[in-house]
Amino acid sequence: MSPPCCGFLSQYTHHHLVTFLLTFFSYVLLHASRKTFSNVKVSISAQWTPSVLNGSSPAYSPGQTWEENKLFEDSQEATLFLGALDTIFLFSYAIGLYVSGVIGDRLNLRYVLSFGLCGSAIVEFLFGTVTEWLHFYNIYFYCCLWVLNGLLQSAVWPCVVAVMGNWFGKSGRGFVFGLWSACASVGNILGAFLASSVLKYGYEYAFLVTSAVQFAGGVVVFFGLLSSPKEVGLSMTCESAMSPVQNDSDSHRPLISDEEYAQEEEGVMCDGGYYSVQRSDQDQDQAPELGDPPVAIGFFQAFCLPGVLPYSLAYACLKLVNYSFFFWLPFYLSSNFGWKEAQADRLSVWYDVGGIVGGTVQGLISDFLGKRAPVLAVSLLLAMGSLVGYSHSPDNQVINAVLLAVTGFFIGGPSNMISSAISADLGRQEVLRGSQEALATVTGIVDGTGSIGAAGGQYLVSLIESRLSWMPVFYFFITMTGVSLLFIGPMIISELRSVCQEMRTRVHQL
Amino acid sequence: MFTFVTLCITSLLFGSSYQQMEFQVCHLCVGSLQNGTAVGYFCASLSGRVEGRCCWRQQGERASIVGLDLSNCSLRHIEDLQEASTAVMIDLSSNPVINISDSVFQGFIELHYLRLPSTLQCPGGNASWEKVTSDGVVCLCEEQKDACHQDGNMSWNCPENSLCAPDGPGFTQCSCTGEYHGYKCLREGQFPTGLVFGILGSSTFLASALLWYTQRRKAKFT
Repeated sequence: MSPPCCGFLSQYTHHHLVTFLLTFFSYVLLHASRKTFSNVKVSISAQWTPSVLNGSSPAYSPGQTWEENKLFEDSQEATLFLGALDTIFLFSYAIGLYVSGVIGDRLNLRYVLSFGLCGSAIVEFLFGTVTEWLHFYNIYFYCCLWVLNGLLQSAVWPCVVAVMGNWFGKSGRGFVFGLWSACASVGNILGAFLASSVLKYGYEYAFLVTSAVQFAGGVVVFFGLLSSPKEVGLSMTCESAMSPVQNDSDSHRPLISDEEYAQEEEGVMCDGGYYSVQRSDQDQDQAPELGDPPVAIGFFQAFCLPGVLPYSLAYACLKLVNYSFFFWLPFYLSSNFGWKEAQADRLSVWYDVGGIVGGTVQGLISDFLGKRAPVLAVSLLLAMGSLVGYSHSPDNQVINAVLLAVTGFFIGGPSNMISSAISADLGRQEVLRGSQEALATVTGIVDGTGSIGAAGGQYLVSLIESRLSWMPVFYFFITMTGVSLLFIGPMIISELRSVCQEMRTRVHQL
Repeated sequence: MFTFVTLCITSLLFGSSYQQMEFQVCHLCVGSLQNGTAVGYFCASLSGRVEGRCCWRQQGERASIVGLDLSNCSLRHIEDLQEASTAVMIDLSSNPVINISDSVFQGFIELHYLRLPSTLQCPGGNASWEKVTSDGVVCLCEEQKDACHQDGNMSWNCPENSLCAPDGPGFTQCSCTGEYHGYKCLREGQFPTGLVFGILGSSTFLASALLWYTQRRKAKFT
């Protein structure tokens, strides 16, 4: 009884497409609202401060138009506070990720996702639009709202990865997830577009539009999302017999990995035990507890799953580099090369583009190989090289853009893969044997650790840059990339060993 | 006291053309506008209504003060004349005032004739007025100059999106040009709320309905 497999695309139904698009756009909207906040920072700090007077000239009149708002004395203080808001947001996002992953595995994914999207939209509306309409500017209010926003937004990522993991099996997961994890970068582009087109009416309208669209997205997700194929009685897309799917925990198994045995194993382990209705009677003996619904895994159990800890720590270092690039790049470009902020913003899009391409291509390659860690290792080594190259970039926009895209390819690729495809792999390992729901919890852990790394990095980068210069910042990035390589070292070694063993057995068979 | 209050309330309830707001500035001292004074002559020529020391002129729905005569009032301090900011002629002579802050006259864009005791300087300095004469008893400041155009060129720079406008003798204000409005004239135009929310609402409804029909309608578990 061979699994009903399947050419690559024919196994996907329209449900898969809709799920892909809905989860994709949920995260796009979330990132768009974050990017909106970054883009309106100049307008917000202008709103919070009185007018700048040159020299000893008296204050402008009338006071309501020019001097009234004195939340901060000058734009430097306002910028410091905006940076502090970023850090607060990232920390509460990280904490929320740990919690939301656990919640997502226990509750209905669709409810948690819609709640996160709509709740976050309401908080953003309060933060940006209501405070401006009421002219109520208060530091503590802003901080509390942003903490709440971080907690609510953290519900989204684990749920979307879990839903994707439910619908898309291991075969092709690398490619599909690579393509799908472009959502963050698409969100950045959409957010920049929305903010720039509405900003002239006032920054409060930028918040209004993004939060309204995000709320609408939450409503559409609530009515249209199927969190797993079970809900419509479909089978999970099974392993293709072509790609060997030995996990590193298989390395201790006997080496008799002939086709029959592999298929039998795959039949049992068909990604967490989702079976189609017609197969259930045949597989009764081998099917693990088909009657019992999967139990959600505990937080510490999930933490102790093989591979979760090293990948989380590696992701912390990678996300630090990724986010620091994302947040500081326009500032670095305009302060180091003296380019205008609009130009720097446009150039920084290339990093995102490189990340999208990198995630997709590397996901595809890792699917062909059946292994993720070696692809990551090669990419991270090349990333260190490209960082060295970028730090010595000449004052030429074209060359800078090319180097930026290359760096984005090598850093963004592994980063996207770890946060999506690998998290899905980890949450669906054989160790769980389909009896435990761990996908959202594991995703939450990996991304939560990553966000803590990113939050810490924001502070460190500004510290290093103000004490020393930009070169040490790049050395710091290179070191962090190397450290993340070290963390996934054991995984690389064991996967390489199993690759060698497979090749040896194939040679023996021939 | 009680009748006074009821009178106030009833007069407030009575509608615009008979509105006689109790402007404090008109009653800073006793007596009313005299015919023989400069302000009195000016008031008569405009057929304005006299109330206390003020001369009122009716312009359509609104009435505004065009003249104020506080001469010979034994005033030692003059602090707030803002109620008379629309005045064209003000007489403060024969008062034992030692000094007066320039900001008292901020907002007096119509003021073209100002009589002050000779102890005082013209507000905004002599450069803010076309003609300044002093005969030892009274200082006369005539024809306020546009402070935005000092010495023939724009000596006052307003921030972006705003233009200089006069705001009294020696005062300027920066008011937003064109479509700009709001704090620091940062905002431009009106946000098309109806259009945006109309499109958003209808597309959300359509998308939700379509997706529910194609996806969730057959869902077995909640």
